[in-house]
Amino acid sequence: MIKFDNVSKIYKDNYVALGDINLEIKAGEFVSIVGTSGAGKSTFLKLIYAEELPTNGRVFFDEKPLDSISRRRISQHRRNIGTVFQDFKLLNKKTAFENVAYALEVCGISRAEILEDVPQILEIVGLGNRQNKFPHELSGGEQQRVAMARALIHKPSVIIADEPTGNLDPVSSLEIMQLLLKINKLGTTVILASHDRDIINKATKRVIVLERGRVIYDEEKGKYKIC
Amino acid sequence: MFLTLARTIKGGWINFLRNGYLSIAAVSVMLLCLFTISSLFLIVLTADNVLKGMQGNVNVSVYFKSSVTEESIMKAKKDLENYNEVKAVEYITKDQALEIFKKNSVSKPVILQSLEEIGENPLLSYLVVQANDPNQYDMVGEYLKNASFKEDISWVNYRDNKDRIDRLNGTISEVRRIGLGVAGLFSIISLLIISNTVRITIYSHRKEVEVMRLVGASNAYIRLPFIFEGIIYGLVASIISMLCLFIALKLSEQFISRLIPGINMLTLYFSNFTMIFAMQVLAGAFLGTLSSWFAIRKYLKI
Repeated sequence: MIKFDNVSKIYKDNYVALGDINLEIKAGEFVSIVGTSGAGKSTFLKLIYAEELPTNGRVFFDEKPLDSISRRRISQHRRNIGTVFQDFKLLNKKTAFENVAYALEVCGISRAEILEDVPQILEIVGLGNRQNKFPHELSGGEQQRVAMARALIHKPSVIIADEPTGNLDPVSSLEIMQLLLKINKLGTTVILASHDRDIINKATKRVIVLERGRVIYDEEKGKYKIC
Repeated sequence: MFLTLARTIKGGWINFLRNGYLSIAAVSVMLLCLFTISSLFLIVLTADNVLKGMQGNVNVSVYFKSSVTEESIMKAKKDLENYNEVKAVEYITKDQALEIFKKNSVSKPVILQSLEEIGENPLLSYLVVQANDPNQYDMVGEYLKNASFKEDISWVNYRDNKDRIDRLNGTISEVRRIGLGVAGLFSIISLLIISNTVRITIYSHRKEVEVMRLVGASNAYIRLPFIFEGIIYGLVASIISMLCLFIALKLSEQFISRLIPGINMLTLYFSNFTMIFAMQVLAGAFLGTLSSWFAIRKYLKI
């Protein structure tokens, strides 16, 4: 489904964020990307949702090279991918419902569809009774679940989670992880970048370790490992 | 498509309302720009009207010696009428000339009295020649100098009016030049200020823009609210500018009609209302769009 073919990303002053990455992520997989800060985890994810383009090599999504997508088509590509971040990226002046609905509004979905889909997805992430709360009225874990609901609303084939538990307590972290595993079980590919040793080890899924922009470990049912 | 348009227009309108002082600043500069342009337009329009009025009054009078017969004058008239540059020729007999002179001298009884004392009509019969274009009077003059009936001509009068027209023509083109310069300057200033305002709006909405991009909003959807915001600045400014122009004309109505008798700027304003308003709306919307476009290009990485 996602293929990195000899991919390098070099920023200004010859800073190599990623070098010679060759790997494949199959549909329905759950992959954890592990590494210290600056190892290239975020760059790896950005290449998938086409926020960045590789300096060398190619990234394929559903066998299509992402560098061949025109700027106008990138928004279509992003609707296939749900993204979740450490800082939630919620709009503070909108309620939980409105934050999720916003993702549909900007894509031109009708009001009727929004009213049908949004409560459903909020129910799935366990916020059925918290729909009208503003982000500041929700706990960190709940805010992250709103973000998850927003990521899922387009029924994407891939969920990218960049340190989703970074700002959460251990219990909330576990809940988010369980939600990601549940989503994965329903058939969505999940790519998780994280520092959290415990939750990655408990998942017993594929682990890719990055160090200074290179893959140094890639195991099915792997363990959190930083050399 | 319609939904996207409605949502982005609403977004632009909300930006406009929430920007407070920034919106006021942007609209004020745009207003100044549009008001200047339309005032200058009205001034040039008035001057053009005055000029046209004067041009209608311009003519060359060819006076014939008293010894010349009416038959010869009629022959000269026919001759002149065949000349390409000439629009119309009118024959004024000695008696008609006297009538006109008396009419013009009603307020000067001394002149009328002395005319009576002379006892006979001292005036000459003449032809009033109108050219197609005021610039052709020189050619008509040249023609008269070499005409077959040149010996019959006593004198020709045309210089005075021509100088006045030349002066007015010069003033109008000067006003046009200065107007264009000032309008251009204001346009550039409002372009800069509006693009700055939109830039600040984009900056204050950067989180929303980031989220929009992440959830797959199209570039058009991200851009359009800011473009509409710019257009709204232009529209609001043009409506206020029309109002200001009306108030200014109303207040200066008497002063202007004293300065240029026979000209009513308010009538001119209303008869050209659609054109002036359309011009302002177009200019405002164009300036608004252009400045938003610049701001987005620079600050929105899409």
